[in-house]
Amino acid sequence: MTNFNWLLDGSIVGLYLLVTMVAGLMVRKYVGKVEHFLVAGREMDVYLGIASLAATEFGIVTCMYTAQNGYEKGFAGATPGILMALAMAGVGLTGFVIKPLRDSGVMTIPELLEKQFGQRIRWAAGVVIVLGGLLNMGVFLRTGGQFLVLVAGLDVRYLEIMMTALLVGVAVYTILGGMLSVLVTDFLQFVVMSAGLILVTILILMNVGWEKLVSTVDTSYGAGGFNPFVNPTMGWQYVLFNLMLNTAAVLTWQTTIARVLAAKDTNTGRKIYTRTAFFFVCRFLIPGIWGIAALATLGPVANTLEAMPQYLSTAVPAGLMGVLIAAMLAADMSTDSSYMLTWCSVIYNDILAPFRKRPWSERKGLFWNRTIIALIGIFLLVYGLWYPLKGDLWTYLGVTGTIYLASISVLLIACCYWRRANSWGAGASIIVSAAIPIAYLVIEQVPSTAELAKSIGPYYSGIATYLLSGAAMVIGSTLKPRAEGRPAHA
Amino acid sequence: MPNHWFWGALTIACVIWYSTITIYVAIKGARDIKNMLARLDSVRERDAEKS
Repeated sequence: MTNFNWLLDGSIVGLYLLVTMVAGLMVRKYVGKVEHFLVAGREMDVYLGIASLAATEFGIVTCMYTAQNGYEKGFAGATPGILMALAMAGVGLTGFVIKPLRDSGVMTIPELLEKQFGQRIRWAAGVVIVLGGLLNMGVFLRTGGQFLVLVAGLDVRYLEIMMTALLVGVAVYTILGGMLSVLVTDFLQFVVMSAGLILVTILILMNVGWEKLVSTVDTSYGAGGFNPFVNPTMGWQYVLFNLMLNTAAVLTWQTTIARVLAAKDTNTGRKIYTRTAFFFVCRFLIPGIWGIAALATLGPVANTLEAMPQYLSTAVPAGLMGVLIAAMLAADMSTDSSYMLTWCSVIYNDILAPFRKRPWSERKGLFWNRTIIALIGIFLLVYGLWYPLKGDLWTYLGVTGTIYLASISVLLIACCYWRRANSWGAGASIIVSAAIPIAYLVIEQVPSTAELAKSIGPYYSGIATYLLSGAAMVIGSTLKPRAEGRPAHA
Repeated sequence: MPNHWFWGALTIACVIWYSTITIYVAIKGARDIKNMLARLDSVRERDAEKS
């Protein structure tokens, strides 16, 4: 049983979808060049950048996992959000990496890497970024559909059809308007998403009450529910791994960096980071509170991932339910559109670069960008929606994310600040950061070595990946002989 | 039950900051979109004149 009312809530959701589609399609006439399509002609200002970054980095999948963190770890589950906010504020204030990156005028990270490491490393980095990003994104649709089905009380048989229709709608305006459509719809989606998140949180705080939330965490998890260092499932290794992971994400996650690259200048890019930083605390704490409220109301449940939507389906009244579902659709659509566009930008700009011996015309460039987005959409449907994923989702996300983040963050930092860094170091770093997480996953799956993987744990494995990836860069770069006056990749 | 002031203060800060920034960004962001489209329009007209 759910409080979703088809007439009232359905109208709110329908109106939101209509306005978003119209806005997304209206700006397509401004797209005349590839630069307009991929980085909005570098005309984005601070507040549009804040709306776009916040909307992109909050999808239904984020809401589900952060709520699950709240349900399983209490308030301590919001620790990654605090770490990410600190990392983003630090990077924004100092301009670390993002300043030289934006100053260089490139459209993607691998394009900058080519200047230091050569064309082969640019291509390899592009492949790593796209593989990591697309495999990561592959699970978004199904998780988003699960939330909507549970909250709205829909028949689970319609999940695939509903999410296919949603993806087709998003793909249409992204294909036609590129980054311009993404920015304008992100803005609308930020406002709708934020209104839903704030209203539902206030409702929960009023109905469940702060005292009950705190006492539930205290009873269920003791001090570990408030302090990650004393939580038996977290500890210092969890905090350190998440600090590394979130710092790397702030520096290199292509959808985040795309906002810096689309900003009208470097200072605007830095301001977007500094002023959006605290949003990442909200991003973890607000759904975390929803998860704690689910624990306080429902008690123990079989599937902790579904606890929060199950709780919301009866706790949120009709009317507000429409706002909540529109908010979550907004969160998902903004994430999907930005992700499709940014992975497309790397495929076009970096992976296809060797095939563009002569510069392509703007018309041909736009045609290929649009085709790539359509192909990404088909991949997402086949891989993420119609093909059921087996195994543990969190491990899957962690592995695909670390393969990308560890190597690309090391390459980018070295490229910006270490003149001695060269292609040997870059190649070694990419291999090491792919080998360790994959080896860990294999050891974990093989029965005879599963205990060994358990004793190491995913956090130590993750920390080792970042440290050894950095070491590989230093050792590889030092070993390669370098003639005076030659570029590092020659 | 220990006094968990840190999480209480952080929750209040989140609700107040997020509400404020949403209204602020809603107003200023709309202006940013208008200016961005105006600049792109002038670039489009310039390009059309050249060709």
